[in-house]
Amino acid sequence: MREQILAAFAQYGSPVLFAVVTIASIGVPLPVSLLLIVTGSLVAQGVMPMWWAIALATAGSVIGDQVGYAIGRWGGAALVARFGGMLGGPPRIAAAEAHARRWGGPGVFLTRWLVTPLGSLINFTSGIAEYPWMRFLLWDALGEALGAAIYIVLGRVFSDRVLELDAALGDFTWTILALAAAVALGWMLWQYLRRQKPGVPDRP
Amino acid sequence: MAFCVAIAGTFIFAFRAGRHAHHLRWENEPIRPWMSVPFIAHTHHVPSAALFRAIGIEPQPHDRRPLRTIAREQHRPVEDLMRDLERALAVAGHTHPSLAPPGGKAP
Repeated sequence: MREQILAAFAQYGSPVLFAVVTIASIGVPLPVSLLLIVTGSLVAQGVMPMWWAIALATAGSVIGDQVGYAIGRWGGAALVARFGGMLGGPPRIAAAEAHARRWGGPGVFLTRWLVTPLGSLINFTSGIAEYPWMRFLLWDALGEALGAAIYIVLGRVFSDRVLELDAALGDFTWTILALAAAVALGWMLWQYLRRQKPGVPDRP
Repeated sequence: MAFCVAIAGTFIFAFRAGRHAHHLRWENEPIRPWMSVPFIAHTHHVPSAALFRAIGIEPQPHDRRPLRTIAREQHRPVEDLMRDLERALAVAGHTHPSLAPPGGKAP
């Protein structure tokens, strides 16, 4: 699949970029980061202008994200009833909803460019949690523009090393995710150990 | 347990990211079937005309067909085409890692 997408992009350019980032933003696993890096390389080669590449990638991502949000918002209850088990069951969905409410805009913003593997899930849970659409759109557009700019500019700078750059950025993203998980779990562990100590009252 | 896995994951992924970042400076980009001839010429810093000629095509700056399409049109396996391009790159002084002598470093 990855080879076919990149081959189509190499040949047809902008329409393929727009279509792929839109579909990927809805939640279909496609090689978007590599596509954006290759786009940066094509910018360096003079195939397309930088502003056009960033605008197109941002527009496609934002449209895809709105579809994910809409599915969560207007199809949320029915989808949870039908596919809740696949997503970890009602408790996990409820936790994701609570997360979406608590983190709100910054959560949407960070998952557009820093912890991208969570992006589609956050779109969906933001819709289920009925996070205000205008705020979602604002944070989403800002994050997607920043994400597209980062990947395309890096692709332009390292235009002759796109595959290694993609691998490095992929591992960097997973490093951030694993670090965030370690910090969260460490905090929970610390809270638990604190409660075990005599004389420390339980939180209500 | 989960905490230990997360800590281990952080170090493993950070190590891998660092290794890839190091390769960014020193490794040549491998050739893939999705790449076009001008793309390969750019990543190896050689004129695209030399690569087009190596695979029997009249050089055209706007020819962005991927290698797999060219191979299909020439009725030959894409691996053949990639081998011809690697040879042309080697002649141009940009030896691909897969063509480098065992244990040696590409010039």
